[in-house]
Amino acid sequence: MNEAEVVIIGAGPAGLSAAIQSARCGLRVTVLDEFMKPGGRLLGQLHEEKKGVWWNGIEEADRLYEDAVNSGVHIRLGTTVYHIEKENRWVTETSEGTWESRCLLLAAGAAETPLPISGWTLPGVMSIGAAQVMTNVHRVTPGNKGIIIGINPLTMAIARELQLAGVEIEGIYIPPYEKKFRQMETPEQILAGMQRMAHLAPSFLLRVGSRFLVNQWTRQKAIQFYPKKGLSVWGIPIHFDKTVTKIIGENEVKGGFISSINAEGIIKEEEQYRKEVDFVCISGGLYPLVELAAVAGCPFYLIPELGGHIPLHNQTMHTPVEGLFVAGNITGIESAKIAMVQGETAGLSMGKAVNGTSRDIEEKLHQSVQNEKRIRAEALIQFHPEVKKGREKMHELWQNYVKESAAAKE
Amino acid sequence: MMDRETIICRCEEVTYEELITTADSYHCSARELKLRTRAGMGICGGRTCRFLIEDAAEESKEKVYENIPLKYQPPVRPMRFDEGGKNK
Repeated sequence: MNEAEVVIIGAGPAGLSAAIQSARCGLRVTVLDEFMKPGGRLLGQLHEEKKGVWWNGIEEADRLYEDAVNSGVHIRLGTTVYHIEKENRWVTETSEGTWESRCLLLAAGAAETPLPISGWTLPGVMSIGAAQVMTNVHRVTPGNKGIIIGINPLTMAIARELQLAGVEIEGIYIPPYEKKFRQMETPEQILAGMQRMAHLAPSFLLRVGSRFLVNQWTRQKAIQFYPKKGLSVWGIPIHFDKTVTKIIGENEVKGGFISSINAEGIIKEEEQYRKEVDFVCISGGLYPLVELAAVAGCPFYLIPELGGHIPLHNQTMHTPVEGLFVAGNITGIESAKIAMVQGETAGLSMGKAVNGTSRDIEEKLHQSVQNEKRIRAEALIQFHPEVKKGREKMHELWQNYVKESAAAKE
Repeated sequence: MMDRETIICRCEEVTYEELITTADSYHCSARELKLRTRAGMGICGGRTCRFLIEDAAEESKEKVYENIPLKYQPPVRPMRFDEGGKNK
């Protein structure tokens, strides 16, 4: 049995930032991660924030890792967590043994939402995040020429990264419409959510004209008169009026079957053709990876603005379960910068939980919570246009919980 | 319209057709749909198809606000048998 004061699951931006803060509070900290490199999703990120200023995730990951090691944090990579359980202390069961700790932080991030499309089980079809890891982490291109299905902030960022790596993107298409599945919307519904990407593709939005997106009728017209060749961002054509109804190939991807669709998602049988490509990326967006919080018995609420079911937590990253903390994408889908500052907050909260309160730690915590709000206001990648509203909902739920549990005690 | 032969659960090779017909005939909850078809019960533990099963089930028409429709259970990742008995 291994022992620490703090165990952190996930060595991404949230987990490493938390580890640094807790270690600086004088705690013995162990970070566990199933991947063989530290940094989590940071490892894949490379994008231009504004003219000439690049966000290089690998450099950020290196810096966090060094800081953590220099602060005395113990980092165990290639370690898969199977189960967490509260006895007197937290018990974390992994592929490399068991850890006991006073505090446990869940910072395992997010997973990708699948979009089932005919032929999606063929080799050569991958989630867009997988293509990003192949290209930016392993330095292997996913193919020579590919199609991307699904349009969201991740699509735009990773399409650009693939292009920088010399991979040709034939086009970006919307997923086929399927009423049953919430992720497979009509072109009109997708356009309605488009303003969330305004900052990522400003030239694109200027051309479509954001005023065309304001109501249902104008959106229907925008699809009806959408240019047949698509509108290009960085030379990559984006097709809001076309979908991939089938991915073609026998033993591997050979191409996609493209169909024009109307604003309601109905396929136009007369406008269908084949495109030859050697890989296909499916981009359905991200959802919080909450499995361990669920196993730990945390209460959950569905908050669509934050990306799905979210464990109940407060602004200092406490859950209602004693000694259990959360930070990063498990609390809602946002950027790595938000994950980092949430990690710092969680790290400080764990410092307070073990060492007791002090004026210094209360000030730092207050500052960190304010930082999160400031960074959100300045955020470049806003995964959902109403993230702030989602955060406020969670805050309210927490206050209700505190009130109810106080009433129950009386 | 989705091709009905599209595989939804890769681990257990359950098609869209199977899910929809089962949901229609038994008007079942996500959990019942999972148990009847084995969708989401394979090696990945439903990490890919969990939300698709929830959506295919009848009850999804009213979105579940509190709690998660399909339960999570340990181990949350596939593990080897010999790792289960070790007390490292």
